[in-house]
Amino acid sequence: MRFQDAARDGRAVVYAGVQADPLVARAATLLADASRAQRLLARAVMNGESSEPDRWRAMFPTLFGPAADNAGRERSEAILEASLAVADRGEQVRSQVRGAVVEELTALLLGRRVGTAAVRRERRILFDGVRAEIHPYDVTVERDGAAEAWDCKWGARGINADVLHQLDDARGHATEEDERLLVGLVVFDARRSCDVRLARQTAPTAATRLVSLETLDALGGSKR
Amino acid sequence: MSDTTIGVALEQAAAAYAALGELGEAVEDEWSYVTDLATAWETRLDGVSAARRAEAIDDATLGAIEAAIEEAGLIVDPHRVIDWLSTFPQIVLLALGEPA
Repeated sequence: MRFQDAARDGRAVVYAGVQADPLVARAATLLADASRAQRLLARAVMNGESSEPDRWRAMFPTLFGPAADNAGRERSEAILEASLAVADRGEQVRSQVRGAVVEELTALLLGRRVGTAAVRRERRILFDGVRAEIHPYDVTVERDGAAEAWDCKWGARGINADVLHQLDDARGHATEEDERLLVGLVVFDARRSCDVRLARQTAPTAATRLVSLETLDALGGSKR
Repeated sequence: MSDTTIGVALEQAAAAYAALGELGEAVEDEWSYVTDLATAWETRLDGVSAARRAEAIDDATLGAIEAAIEEAGLIVDPHRVIDWLSTFPQIVLLALGEPA
């Protein structure tokens, strides 16, 4: 089993530009230390229609009301501002930016557990005698004996048979080579919605880890 | 404290959610997912309503649910609606201090 950079085709070049947008890094950095409620705020605003901050503040009284502490309120305000900036990008671009934010957030959290040097983006995994998958993995952890491959989704709807097969096939091929490869999905959505999506899938899921909005911190080794 | 109860607020939320669900069904390829998703979250909200129906609701929580209902009413793109079918109930549950 070996890792390789994805081909620099047109899609990759365009998407690299999205990933390099400073707004992506800003949003992901804020969300890395956010509470579940703050992450839900980001999800709602980035997918919302209203650009009025007060509407969102009203919708999340635990984050912006008198009970919120100063540090928490400051972070919530920063997340609100960044999320509104994402929402302001227009339908197609906001969709790309949201996806890039989830990937960057995943990479940041994984880096806390395994060290940033082991975390890579947009990588393919090659196995002897197996034709390489066209689509690269969003985030990989590349270290001897404990490699990981993660695909990232903005919402539960993004879970589909292709990605489930690709992840499970990679895990299976690794096993055939006596390698250990943990595979998983990071979904910036509620576990309940993910379970609904998975319930109708016939692709194998038993050995694929699912990290949802409630359990994101587990990526970084935290049980928070 | 408002004169409204949690049961009344959740009835209003349920009506807004049903309207969202109808919009989401316009995406034919996702009809099964949309109906399953709506059923799963409606069941969760119904459970909260059954347990806390008569409880008075404070102004901030009521305002949060009303703001979420207003926002849901602005979403017209059926693809974005599908995302809101997951997001909206999470906001309502968070406002009520309930886990998703």
